[in-house]
Amino acid sequence: MPTRTDPATDQVPEATRAPEAADRRRRRPAWVPYLPYLLPGAVAFVVVIGYPFAMNVYYSLFKWRGGMAPMRWNGLGNYSDLMGDSAFWTSFQNSVAMILAMVVVPTLLGLVLAAVLFDYLGRRFGPRVAAFLRATYYLPQILPVAVAGVLWNWILNAQTGALNVTLRGLGLDNPPNWLGDPDIALPSVMLVLIWVQVGYPVVIFMSALQRVDPELYEAAELDGAGWWRRFQAITIPQIRPETFVVTLTCTVAALKVFGPIYVLTRGGPESSTLVPSYYSYLNFFDKSKVGYGAAIATVLTLVIIVVAVVILALQSRAERREQEGR
Amino acid sequence: MSTVVPDTTTAGPAAVPAPARAPRPRRARVATGHDQRYRRGVGRWLVLAAAVLVALLMLSPFVIMLLNAFKSPAEYSQAGPLSIPKEVYLDGVQNFWTRTNFPQKLWNSVFISALVAVFGTLLSLLNAYAIGVGRIKGRLWIVTIFLVANMLPQEALIYPLFDMAQQVGLSNSQWSIIIIFTVIQSAFGTYLLASVLGTFPPALLEAAQLDGAGRWRILWQVVYPIVKPTLGVLMIFFFIWTWNEFFIPLVMLTTNDTQTIPIALASLQGDRMMDAPTTNAGALVSLIPALIFFLIFQRTLTRGVTAGAVK
Amino acid sequence: MLRSRKISIVAAVAALPLALAACGGSDGGGGSDDQTLTIWHYENEDSAMGQAWAKAIEIFEEENPDVEVVVEKQTFEQIQKNAKIVLTGNDVPDVMEYNKGNATAGQLAAQGLLTPLTDAAAERGWDEKLSGSLQTTATYDEQGLMGSGDWYGVPNYGEFVQVYYNKDMFAQYGLEVPTTLEELETVMQAFADQGVTPLAEAGAEYPMGQLWYELVLANSDREFIDQYQLFDGDPDFHGPEMTQATETLNSWIQSGYVASDSAALTAEDMGVSFINGTYPMMVSGSWWFGRIVEEMDADWGQFNFPGNTLQVGSSGNLWVVPANADSPDLAEEFIDITLRPEVQNILAETGGLPVAGDASVITDERTQQLTENFQAILDEDGLAFYPDWPVPGYYDVVVSELQSLINQSKTPTEVLDGLETAYVDGKADLLDS
Repeated sequence: MPTRTDPATDQVPEATRAPEAADRRRRRPAWVPYLPYLLPGAVAFVVVIGYPFAMNVYYSLFKWRGGMAPMRWNGLGNYSDLMGDSAFWTSFQNSVAMILAMVVVPTLLGLVLAAVLFDYLGRRFGPRVAAFLRATYYLPQILPVAVAGVLWNWILNAQTGALNVTLRGLGLDNPPNWLGDPDIALPSVMLVLIWVQVGYPVVIFMSALQRVDPELYEAAELDGAGWWRRFQAITIPQIRPETFVVTLTCTVAALKVFGPIYVLTRGGPESSTLVPSYYSYLNFFDKSKVGYGAAIATVLTLVIIVVAVVILALQSRAERREQEGR
Repeated sequence: MSTVVPDTTTAGPAAVPAPARAPRPRRARVATGHDQRYRRGVGRWLVLAAAVLVALLMLSPFVIMLLNAFKSPAEYSQAGPLSIPKEVYLDGVQNFWTRTNFPQKLWNSVFISALVAVFGTLLSLLNAYAIGVGRIKGRLWIVTIFLVANMLPQEALIYPLFDMAQQVGLSNSQWSIIIIFTVIQSAFGTYLLASVLGTFPPALLEAAQLDGAGRWRILWQVVYPIVKPTLGVLMIFFFIWTWNEFFIPLVMLTTNDTQTIPIALASLQGDRMMDAPTTNAGALVSLIPALIFFLIFQRTLTRGVTAGAVK
Repeated sequence: MLRSRKISIVAAVAALPLALAACGGSDGGGGSDDQTLTIWHYENEDSAMGQAWAKAIEIFEEENPDVEVVVEKQTFEQIQKNAKIVLTGNDVPDVMEYNKGNATAGQLAAQGLLTPLTDAAAERGWDEKLSGSLQTTATYDEQGLMGSGDWYGVPNYGEFVQVYYNKDMFAQYGLEVPTTLEELETVMQAFADQGVTPLAEAGAEYPMGQLWYELVLANSDREFIDQYQLFDGDPDFHGPEMTQATETLNSWIQSGYVASDSAALTAEDMGVSFINGTYPMMVSGSWWFGRIVEEMDADWGQFNFPGNTLQVGSSGNLWVVPANADSPDLAEEFIDITLRPEVQNILAETGGLPVAGDASVITDERTQQLTENFQAILDEDGLAFYPDWPVPGYYDVVVSELQSLINQSKTPTEVLDGLETAYVDGKADLLDS
């Protein structure tokens, strides 16, 4: 049977076996036969995520102490309270700092490290060296957050921490109170977050770099392009999908960050490191205001969805542009 | 009908025959004569030193952890966390091991994390195949909806999940955890794989379809081998993320025989007191399996397969 | 083929756990009625409670040979945060250790998640074994406020806050144990003059709040505490009790009695720094006793916070019986055993501060001192609970406000304003639902 490319979707329709079937298929878009592949994921999603999320939105319309306490209808009352809650707004402000520490810096740093490891060191010293260094960069990601908190407290502790002990040894009499000074606590936490987060982009980017066809590089070299030119013109466009993925997932993680805040500062000192997820947790559990906590979680999710859609739209547009260019 | 085989060369021993068309075979990612000329020059040593410096910075907290894992509590209180232990104190590790029945927790954690890694990756592949290769309409929104799984704070999910697990008889069962995390992790996997498959060269697919292969065959014989590095990444990530998951297992697993390592670690921390040296010993012991898993699966990341082969 | 191999591997792996789940998987706590007693707690085996309860289990097994006792050692986090969720299910223990107070046991009681134990208490004489302020935390009303209503929990031990001091350092500077607040301030000034910060403190966790509360108690009477803790009226946050306490604490911070960089220190930091001799005094709880005995090299002692009749402290954690428990009768019997002299005396000997023990059996001098200190407070009915108890979530507020005081970024009045707002809001929420 002759096959033709459907210009609209750039896909080859499946080879047909019988004329009536062919008629049916010609009226059906090419992507429909792929739907069954989506089925297990869709079912699992609805059960595990969809229903609980719907319940969460439902809870946010009530005042509820959790467990078997009575639920009292509150309509959008929780949400209007939220708009006027200064702690809530502070927590979102701090999210911006989180994005800097968990998206911008790790992505850029991760890309540089991955490129150096893969392109430069991997070639000059062999892939084992690159792999070993990658493992060390990734190690913080394997460590449970609770333990990381203990370790970093031992480093950043104002009185007995390694950092201040060293600084005092070097002659600095009054080293900063890294976790206790409201002005410095947030940057200190950001530093820890960078430490935790950077291994993730390194691993993803290194696998992305492996996808790039070396012949593209060779061709460019033959044309006389230096390392930086090649990086800009070939590497970066080729690993675009992974770049978007890293950006999006790190942003989501930054907006959702909870563990490191919990173990390092509990949102303090004086609420200077409060983040939305932690604030939601406080309301859910410490204050037993489940309805309010659910409202915070819902708003947080909506913000994340908006941000994600923006990034995804950008990604989709870039993909389309690339396909048209082919 | 000839079997459609993608044009690949792996660093491993299995050589794959070239298909009817004639793209050039890939060059494996090992040093060759061509690369030899890179092996000279002082510059590379400076760069290596810088990279090693970064590695040392990343490792410094772990050094502190090592110091304290083998320190007796009395010495820890007297001399502080930064001191080098005068004698290697193994009771901390031993206490942790027996007190928490560590082998049982280890098995539980490995079991759950491994299954989530496998199922999650599988599910992601299926979803991403439909979205990236199949180009389902509205795929932007579908990916977003899947990603919601990752975006939801866990405390928002826990009440309904607990109730549901109760109702289907999966309370205090590891399967509830496995199912939940397969879905949550596969959201990320779907997104990553769909992004990568979105740029999958159509020519390879065309070639396969020309040879009469159906979608299922194309998935496993054309797509799967090429995205193996990405799948490797997913397996590693899913294993490690699930390994360290604390909150949902804490609520769902109520008896010691089903609990996982992070819960065991948390048991060292009481209402007001914390046993720091034992926590460190425990953390060290818990870290090792995850690290081993990472090191093993690292190798799948280095089997060079490229998608650009067809050009 | 690759594909079929992969599928068969997946299938094999999938089959394995189903087999395991069928034979080894637990179906949770209950077991059948009167055949199994399931206990959940989160105390260390080596601790006073752990040892006493091991004895109680032994006695129980002797008296009930055909009952199987299953102990699930839990984590504090788990029970604290998740009891509300977990107890709604069916896999609940028969008897469980739980935290005391409105924000914890009170909440569970108000939601009907616990079995009332009033009848058992009367029948078995628990109400006679426990003295006044110890019983406060055992009873909760329909709104979950302690002090009245049905019995929902039974404590085995008590806890309180005292002052640990480094005898060597006191001797070094020729100082005596203070008996009044003024004398304490003189001692602290003497240390400060020598360049030694007298008090080990922690701004990131409970210690600072407890110190502040001790000062509040110095100026308070039982009536004020009933207003603050039991909602017997509205406590005046700008009245003499609280204002004086906050201003005193403020001046202590300014005089350098409390380290100015202690805002982010944890209780662990505080304890360790006292043990290694950095600070001569630590105002904290009886829960530190065992560890200090084990790990402190220097000679040390203990005294009650000088000048106070009311002290920070309460009953220890409670044994509660979940409403969905399978074997509540067995649970009640177990609780009764824990109050027997054999078990209580183990608590006494190990420094566990029993509620119904005999102090004369204690051989160790320091343990005896600890127990006598506690007994002195009980005799005056002096237990005044903890500052963060009245309202859920108050703990974080107290921590945050006092951090501002340590960092000198808020005045005492502002700190009291912050505390008051959160208290009033939280109380309204609590009484509202």
